[in-house]
Amino acid sequence: MIQTHDAPLLDVRDIGIAFGGLRAVDHFSLRLDLGQLHGLIGPNGAGKTTCFNLLTGVYAPDTGEIRLRGRPIHHSRPHQIAGAGIARTFQNIRLFPHLSVIENLLVACHLRSRQTIAGAIFESRKHLEDERMMEHKCLALLDRFELADQSDEPAASLCYGDQRRLEIARALAIDPKVLLLDEPAAGMNPQEKVQLKSLIRGLLEGFNIAILLIEHDMSVVMDLCEQITVLDHGCTIATGAPAEIQADPKVIEAYLGASVETGEPEEEGTADERG
Amino acid sequence: MIRESAGHTHRLPPALAPLAALALAIVLGLISRRLFGDYVERIGIDICIAIILAVSLNIVNGFTGQFSIGHAAFYAIGGYVAGMISYYASIQLWDSPTSWGSILSPTSINVVYQSLIFVIALLCGGIVAALAGWLVGLPSLRLRGDYLAIVTLGFGEIVRVLLQQTNEQIFTRSDLHAASRDELFPPPVGGALGFINIPKMTSLFWAVLLACACVLFAWRLKKSTFGRAMIAIRENEIAAEAMGVNITRLKVWAFVFAAFFAGIAGGLYAHEAGTQIGPGDAGFTRSFDVVIMVVLGGLGSITGSILAATILTIANEWLREPTHVWHIGLALLALRLMVQPKQRFRAIVWSLSAIAAIEGARSIAIRLQIDLGEYRMVIFALMLIVMMILRPQGLFGTHEFSDLLPRRRRPGRGFEVST
Repeated sequence: MIQTHDAPLLDVRDIGIAFGGLRAVDHFSLRLDLGQLHGLIGPNGAGKTTCFNLLTGVYAPDTGEIRLRGRPIHHSRPHQIAGAGIARTFQNIRLFPHLSVIENLLVACHLRSRQTIAGAIFESRKHLEDERMMEHKCLALLDRFELADQSDEPAASLCYGDQRRLEIARALAIDPKVLLLDEPAAGMNPQEKVQLKSLIRGLLEGFNIAILLIEHDMSVVMDLCEQITVLDHGCTIATGAPAEIQADPKVIEAYLGASVETGEPEEEGTADERG
Repeated sequence: MIRESAGHTHRLPPALAPLAALALAIVLGLISRRLFGDYVERIGIDICIAIILAVSLNIVNGFTGQFSIGHAAFYAIGGYVAGMISYYASIQLWDSPTSWGSILSPTSINVVYQSLIFVIALLCGGIVAALAGWLVGLPSLRLRGDYLAIVTLGFGEIVRVLLQQTNEQIFTRSDLHAASRDELFPPPVGGALGFINIPKMTSLFWAVLLACACVLFAWRLKKSTFGRAMIAIRENEIAAEAMGVNITRLKVWAFVFAAFFAGIAGGLYAHEAGTQIGPGDAGFTRSFDVVIMVVLGGLGSITGSILAATILTIANEWLREPTHVWHIGLALLALRLMVQPKQRFRAIVWSLSAIAAIEGARSIAIRLQIDLGEYRMVIFALMLIVMMILRPQGLFGTHEFSDLLPRRRRPGRGFEVST
């Protein structure tokens, strides 16, 4: 395992993928270091969620490479990438609805668990110890997310905002280095959005991670992110600090539609389904 | 700070459950025949076999949410392998495949050796079935939903046809020694006629012991990180993968475990008195019996599988001659009250009217001189249809018996008692 100190945490170079004739993402590059919060914005169908799917191994990129702490991961399967330290949430919530809140987190701990089948069947002391430690860790995490009171409720019974928070907690339970949040504020009311912002800020300090954030809500993006990348039709049209992005004529054009092109098909939902 | 969760403070010692299972098997094995007779003992063995099949299939269909409808193939493979080992070992050692007595009441020294052979045969049957499960699972578990169902269905039919093409059985030691390679290679297990004269070694003791082992395995698997990961695959495959669950590996494991226990169940069946294993046992009718049990019990619920396997096996026998309607009706009512303590009044009214209706139907049938036993498959099918309409999620849904016990809540922050 190559691990150089000057290598950035996440280094994405020129990745691209085409679905048939459609270049969903083209020449996308990104550098992310610990403690950074990077925003990814763009109109519907710009390729934001496809980028996430490339980063998490749902799709393998046609071109380019992705390195995590210097290690190439663009040929790895999703569970290997999760193991390497990239966790994500989903645009349309994907919890394990019939499992309890704490079990949702315990599933994420499976990756780092040292349990063996034989240990589980004979309930060896090591197994019970591991189980207890996992439970402890998850309860602490739930406590931080103010979900500890509901730890035994089925995940499906939580209200919408709590489900969004539980998804973030679950992603953190795999001890990631990079956290990908796919529209965490979608469907939230203004008050919940304020809470979410402080929660995300707290994550950067508390968990020693880097966050890549897709968000449509400009108040959330502009307040939180130090750097923003704007995508349109799969291409990066601007990168920079929030103030620069807001003033960039290309960005304004993409959002307000100064060019004639209209009727972009909604691509993100279907790309996420993957068969 | 977070306190230790309440569950661990009074956890039972891990060895207690296996010992209790052993005690149960010994007690039932010793008393059942004397108390209830051969017929009831055989139904008991059938129930145990059904429980093993249903609980093991539940690991695949219920935990991981895949849909395998070829479970009987592994059952038949296990039965044939186990039968072959014990049959030919007996021919070789004693020139006769018959055996009498059981390990609990040995009539000769042979019984001890035969029991040893029997256990080895069962294990080998399970292991070969597990290997078959691995070979089938490795390529096919990359498929999803309907496609996997088709592959497993096809596998069952392949096994059935292959078993029909096997060689004729060899009945004496001298013939066995004189057999040519052609007579031994497709294995001499009777072809389409079925495999006869397998020593009748299955007793209630072994059946209960192995059923308990299977249930305990599934239970502890479910409570471990592997079981949770398997259930996560059922709940949301994409999210499970993104959370680091190696879905292909876990699906193959689930398949292998299920095949292993199905193989053991097949071994028990092959050695059971009054039955004869044949190629038809690999076919899809047998597979569907098991799928029905799992769905009826509730996908993912071990308790439900046990209950459904028991009820369906008994119902199948009971419908030959439906008597004791009141006893059974009241027993089912008690069960219903246990599963759903709410709506007591409605449950009682429903059960009493159902009992009255069945009794009425019986008396009319007797007056008209109709033998209800002849219609048992029709009645059986009707029961299943009614059940699926009234409770589509199965008897237990995804719950377990332990969920009915008073909840031991983890002390949340709101309930924390400061000291």
